[in-house]
Amino acid sequence: MDATTVLAEINGNIATVGYGLAAIGPAIGVGIVVGKTIEGVARQPELAGRLQVLMWIGIAFTEALAFIGIATYFIFTN
Amino acid sequence: MNDVAPADRTPTSNPVLRRALTWGGLLAAVILVVSSVLGLVFAGVPGLVSALIGTVMAVVFMGITSASILLANRYANSDLFVGIFFGVVLGGWIVKFIVFIVLVVVLRGVDWLDPTVLFLSIVAGVLASLVVDVLVVAKSRLPYASDVELPKAPTED
Repeated sequence: MDATTVLAEINGNIATVGYGLAAIGPAIGVGIVVGKTIEGVARQPELAGRLQVLMWIGIAFTEALAFIGIATYFIFTN
Repeated sequence: MNDVAPADRTPTSNPVLRRALTWGGLLAAVILVVSSVLGLVFAGVPGLVSALIGTVMAVVFMGITSASILLANRYANSDLFVGIFFGVVLGGWIVKFIVFIVLVVVLRGVDWLDPTVLFLSIVAGVLASLVVDVLVVAKSRLPYASDVELPKAPTED
């Protein structure tokens, strides 16, 4: 029995790791976007409208990758 | 001085978000037709159903963000607005993703869907919704300061 089998054997579908990655990235991204928006609104409350739109477009781009990443479940199995 | 009504603090982003939802819906209808035809041609009836479900999923889930911001902005005059805003927007976001993951897991097993068509139509719907968002934001005119009231000119007489 060689070292790979003993130490680094992986059973099941490696694609499941991808769901974890697809969740981590957008979580960090949306966290940064929203946190920075809170900072901005706290500094200049009258800019809330503009900052909300920027936040929304930032969230949209971040979550697009998450949707595509999670939807790869449809094609990456087996 | 005390009888002045408090200023309406509704953010100026509401019209932009509403316009994005409207145009997103319109473009979604176009994508729906195109992807259904392509799905029907390439994968038969399962392809058609997959294209319909995939496009609707993508557009609805992308639209929930702006809908949640619009919902949260209704509480703009509340003292707890910041808390309510981020609670509603981020809470809606996490619920949306949980529902999406559950839908994906459930739909993976069924045999009346074509996974490839489903995936491609989700990608098409997500990209189309991004294009609409960017176009609407690029064409929008937002006043810099929304709720500032300029002082009135002094009346001397």
